[in-house]
Parts: sequence; C-alpha cells; structure tokens
Amino acid sequence: MCMVGLLTLISFNSSAQTTTDGLMMGKNLFCTGFMYTNDKWTDYWEGELKRENGNIGSITTQSLAYYGVYGITGKLNVIAMLPYVKTEASQGTLHSMEGVQDLTLAVKYNFLRLESEKLTFRAFGVLSFSTPLTDYTPDFLPLALGAHTTNLTPRINAMVKMNQGWFVNGSAGYTFRSNTELDRPSYYDGSNFYNSSEVDMPNVFDLFVSAGYQKESLQVELNYIQQNTLGGADIRRQDMPFVSNKMNAQRVGLLAMYYLPKPKNLAVRGSVHYTVNGRNVGQATTYLAGILYTFKFGKSE
Amino acid sequence: MKKNLYIYVLCTAVFCITTTSCDKIEVTEQLTPLTPANIDADAGTWKMAFMTAPDQVAVPAPTPVGSDAYKAELTAVKDAQSKLTKSQRDAIEYWSGGGVLRWNQFFRDLVSRYNLPPAPKADGSYPAPDAENPFGDPAFPFANPPYAARAYGYVSASLYDALKAAWHFKYLYNRPSAYNADSGVEALVPKTDLPGYPSEDAVMSGVSAEMLKFLFPAAVEDITLKAAEQRNAALWSGKATSSDIAAGLALGKSVAALFVARGRTDGMGAAGGNKTLWDGLKQNAESRGDEAWVSLETPPRPPMLPVFGKVTPWQMTPDQIVAIRPPAPPIRGSAEMDAEVQEVKYYADNLTRERLAIVHKWADGAGTYSPPGHWNDIAAEYVRDANFSEVRAARAFALLNMAEQNAAIACWDTKYFYFNARPCQLDPSIKTGTGVPNFPAYVSGHSTFSAAAAGVLSYLFPDGEAYFKDQATEASMSRMYGAIHYRKDCEAGVQLGYKVSDIMINNFAKVDGAD
Repeated sequence: MCMVGLLTLISFNSSAQTTTDGLMMGKNLFCTGFMYTNDKWTDYWEGELKRENGNIGSITTQSLAYYGVYGITGKLNVIAMLPYVKTEASQGTLHSMEGVQDLTLAVKYNFLRLESEKLTFRAFGVLSFSTPLTDYTPDFLPLALGAHTTNLTPRINAMVKMNQGWFVNGSAGYTFRSNTELDRPSYYDGSNFYNSSEVDMPNVFDLFVSAGYQKESLQVELNYIQQNTLGGADIRRQDMPFVSNKMNAQRVGLLAMYYLPKPKNLAVRGSVHYTVNGRNVGQATTYLAGILYTFKFGKSE
Repeated sequence: MKKNLYIYVLCTAVFCITTTSCDKIEVTEQLTPLTPANIDADAGTWKMAFMTAPDQVAVPAPTPVGSDAYKAELTAVKDAQSKLTKSQRDAIEYWSGGGVLRWNQFFRDLVSRYNLPPAPKADGSYPAPDAENPFGDPAFPFANPPYAARAYGYVSASLYDALKAAWHFKYLYNRPSAYNADSGVEALVPKTDLPGYPSEDAVMSGVSAEMLKFLFPAAVEDITLKAAEQRNAALWSGKATSSDIAAGLALGKSVAALFVARGRTDGMGAAGGNKTLWDGLKQNAESRGDEAWVSLETPPRPPMLPVFGKVTPWQMTPDQIVAIRPPAPPIRGSAEMDAEVQEVKYYADNLTRERLAIVHKWADGAGTYSPPGHWNDIAAEYVRDANFSEVRAARAFALLNMAEQNAAIACWDTKYFYFNARPCQLDPSIKTGTGVPNFPAYVSGHSTFSAAAAGVLSYLFPDGEAYFKDQATEASMSRMYGAIHYRKDCEAGVQLGYKVSDIMINNFAKVDGAD
C-alpha cells in the first residue's frame, strides 16, 4: 500500500541524472529544479490478493521535490533531493497527511570507462543516504508520508551506449533501513506481537533496467523497476497495512527529457510509470513533470 | 586519499544503520525472577469472584512426604535437573518472572492476533465469526473491544479464583515444595515457603489454557504448548513434583469448567442481534427525534455487538448497569449538538502532530490488544514492580478486568440505548486521525474503559493515582482529537467508567479480605 514509502527509495530513477542511470554532470555544472509527481491507485494487493477498498477509494500522493546535482568532477557527482508530500483518500473518513519528507543525499562515482569506436561502457558506484527531516508518522498507512527510516543504499550501475545515442542501462541497489518508531507502546506486525514502539524494518533490494536514446538535448527511455522487501509480513485479510509489511512492486515506465533550444540550459522532464505487479502495495500510475536548469560554475570540462 | 575518505564515510554509515537495525526488539516483556514481598498465606480465605467456596472443587489429599511414591517423584525431579538443556533453562527463566504476568502478556498477544474484522463477501454482506468453525474465514473470534474485555475478564477472574482455591488446599495439606522437601532438589527459582501441593503453576496452566481454548479456539496449539511449558518449568525448577502438577492441573481445569459454563450462558451468544433488532434500534433513536447511527464503512457493516449491554456483569447486577446509564446525549440539530460538531470539526481541521501522536498512542483499534489490553499493559508494570505473590497479582488483574468487562457492558448498553451518530455522519467534511469504530458514538468506549481501569488501578496502587487518571483523561480526549467522538461522549464515558470502578471497589475489592 505504501507506494509513498516505496517511492522514496527509488524516486531518483525519475529524476534528471539519477542515482540509477549512467549519466553524469560535467565538472562545475549544477543542474537544479523542481519535480512534481502525481501517484494514484485504486486497486492494491492485500498480500497476493488484488482488491479495492471502498473505505479508502483511491489514494493519491502528490509530491513537489527540490532536486539538484553538482559535478565535482566529470567522474564524481553529488545529488540532493527533498520532497514535500501530500496524501489523500477519495473515500472514507481518513484524514489526509502532508509535509516535508526525507532528504536524500547521494554521491555517484564513475569508476570505469571503456571506449571503442562504436561503444562506450561505463560503470558507477553510488551511495545514497536518506533521512526524514520532519517527525511525520509512519503509522498511518496508506496515508503516511513514508516509513520514517534512515536509509543507506549502496548501488552499482552500468551503461552501454552506442555513439549514435542508443543505450541500455542497469542498476542494482540494496537499501539498509533503520528501525522506525511508532506513537504506540505495542504492535502486531502480522507475525508477532511486540511490547515496543520500535519496529525492525526489513531491508530492500531494487533492480532498475532501461533502454533508450540519448543524444545532445534529448533523452527518451523505457524502463523497468523492481523492488523487493527482504522480509516483513503480508497485510492480513481486511487488515490495515503496516509499515514493515513485505512491499514488493514491479513497474514499467516511459521517460523523456529535453533541453529546450531557448532559453539555453533549461530542460523539461516527464515520465509515466505503471505498477504491473505487486504485493502489499497499490497498483499505482505515476506521472512526473519537472523543470531543470543547469548553471555553470567556473570552468567546466 | 580521497578514496580512503569515501570508504571511511561509507563504512561509518553502514555501521550506524546496520547496528541500529540489528538491535533485536524483544518479543516478550523482560521480567526478573519473582520474589514476592508476602506469600499471602491467607489467600485461601479471600472472597471468591465467582466460585461458591475455595473447596467447591475437591482436591484429594497428597501422598505423605515420607512415602515411597513421593520419594520416587523427588528422584524424578533430581533426575530431570541433572540433564537440563538450554531451552529448558530458558523456559524456567521465562516462567520465573511470574505466571500471572506471563499469561496476561500472552492473552494480550492473542487479542491483537484475533482483533480483525471479517472481510465483506462479494455480495456486500459480512459473514459472522462462528465459534463452531474457528479456523474458517472469518476466523473466530473477532476480538473487538467488547469481546476482548470479556475475554480479559473471564481469564483473569478464573485465574484469581483458581489460585485462591490452590492456596486453600496448599495450606490445608501443607506438603512442602520439592526444593523444601529434599535438599538434593535444586531451587532454580527464588525459594519461598509456599506449600507445593497443588502446584500453583499447574493450576494457572490448567485454568488459563481451558479458558483461552474456549475464547480463542483456533489458537489451541499455541495455548497448549504454553501451558505445558509452564508445568514443565515448575518441575524442572525444583518447585513441584509430578503429583503437585497433576493435582494443580486437575484443579485448574475444573475451575475453568465452572467459568466456561458461566460464559456459555452470559448472553454473549446473542450479543450480535439480528436485522429486526437493528431496525428497532434505529426506530428508537428516531422516536427521540435524533438521527440514527449508520455504518460509515463501505459496504455498510452491521453494528458491533448491539446486545453486548445485556451480557452478565461481574460483582454487580444487570439492574445496576441500567441504573448507571448516562442521560441522553443532545440530539441532532439542537444548539448543543451543533456546538459539539463544531468543536470536533475544529480538531479535524487542526490535527497537529502532537495531537495525532496522542490519537495513535491510544487508538488501540484493529490488530491491537484493544483498550482493555492497553490498560493491562499499563497494569503489568505496576504488578511487576510491586513484587506481588501470584495470587495477589491475579487479584489485581481480576479486579481490573472484571471492571473492564463491566465497563464494556455499561458502555455498550448506553451506546445502543441511544444509537446516535458519529461526528462524521453528521458532518461528512470531518476527517479522522484514526478509523471510525463501527458503533454509535455516545458514550466513548475508550473513555469508559480508561476511567474504569484508572479507578481500579488507583485503588490498587495509590502512588500511581495521578498518573493513571492523567492517562485516562488523555485516552479519552484522544478520541475527540481524532475527530471520532464529541466531547460529550468522552466526558460522559469517563464518568461512567469511574462509576463502574467504584462499584467494583466497593462491592468486591474492599470486602474480599485481601486488603
């Protein structure tokens, strides 16, 4: 159900020059802007049972994220992102939630580059760190803004690109999640009852694959995203979702980014993703629209 | 150099996150071995909660200490102690914290596991949980707050009576515990002078297991394993021999049978009502000029246990339940009710993080141990710290949970007598910080449960009075902050709860001979 929680982990694959792609900002270039995301689902998987629920109707999650990436060198970039999130149910009585969510900081390092006449192969190591900036509750799914965990994700990316612009890209990440804290003194997580407000959060593995075209001012790609929560219980029949549930999702998407001819250095970005299969998550359709501007500091490479 | 720095940052970050996430969160409460301040040798003379007398169930005289049969039992204990495994020692340690506390924790666990409403069928109707088919879909029971309150009430009251009967026979026969009868038997738990026959641990295992199998039949495997472990731990620890345990188990089961018989005829079976009755409730409310309650769930769910108010209470009469029923709430459209709705609307529109934390601290909805369970959780810490004997610990939970069951009965009686609407039924723009319970508003269940619990706990632990009452007020107000109750529901619920606890204290606690 918690597409919000899931999105925080992987939101970067919808951003310009992300933690999962094979692209880099050049030295002293700073690309920054805002991304608006609209994520909506009606059906969800209660464990493996797909259903809808008249007590919530559709859940819409909107977010407006600040985004920035800076090229320390052509091989080393730092990335930052911070979203403001709002969730809402179309039916039932549950209150909407909104607020600043998790700050993500990442470093991306291009450690390998092989070139032939026709092809370039590049490999990257990425380390992302994210942490909540506000004390939003994780215990109000499906309307909670996120899991309220501090995460660390080591990641490996590889990209093969032909000189004409066609490319394939792959990325795999493993997210360590801290425990999260509830406002209540005990809970049942679907397997065990705990006399504690602290919840052990299973770690998450994700895989990202894309193929497309990128040359000069245009980038277009199709992509596939898979996320597996390595532990956690299913939502029981007719139960509410719980923050440590096993939330798995497989999503496909289309992404395009274009640097406008004028004004120079201004780019627009859009994407759409659809959840084809999942477990304990909503079958979401997610639209993203962003606007980004690239500044140059000092001498670029 | 730069690379080293990155590796350092990475390792530090990985270390920080993995160490916090690897901190094991304990499933069981941490208890130190029980060393009662007083073994309450006179507990066999205390007033029974339901049994007619401590010897209503007969326990035959044990074989004498000097007999060959008893010596053989002691040899068996020593033999078992000579080859204890790690898991057997763990079981001894677990149960040494106190059987009453362990069973209380276990049934809070069971309630949270079974506190799940049935899913609707394809045609939009809801199946009723069926005691004759507990493993079906839906599972039996749906341990909602009234069901849970009654479950806590029965298990706690039966444990209390069974232990008083055990104390009676212990001092009637005066056969020592194994470790006091034979210096070769090691005491792996703190020693006391409490006579060993019948074993209090076996009594607890027998009565708790039988009651829980009646109330949570689908959990039979967990229940019987737990009970068997308690009996084994009593023997392994050097407290009890096999005949202490056999006599205790038989006594516990026989006491449970008395309480189960009461439970089968206490009105719970009819508490769900039927369509005709539900329509009658609506007409009642409308005849008072009010808007009748409707389910806000989709598809609409029948009201939760509308006849629970007729379930037999403890230490008070059904007439007393009716006598303490609060006066009618303001009706829809009255200036007073408009103001009530306005106030709830304010809290809905101004749901601060601080108030949301209070709402969620006390929500105790589906998948939790319910409000009575929350108060058992609070009580457990006080019982633990008081170093009560098992029988006095059982008394504390019995007083608390008989009052909680009465609170559920009095509250449900009131709710269905008036059958009034929730705030977001009267004003659909009111959005809530927790789920809207599927029953009428007046009076608030949380308020009634919390005040009844705070009243009893204040009597038992006078030092905690300010804390208990403060928590009860917070629990009560949490329902208004969450926009699911009017202030009137909360305030009248608190008053009703204190009336319930006063009756429990005056009719029983003050006269049972324990204080």
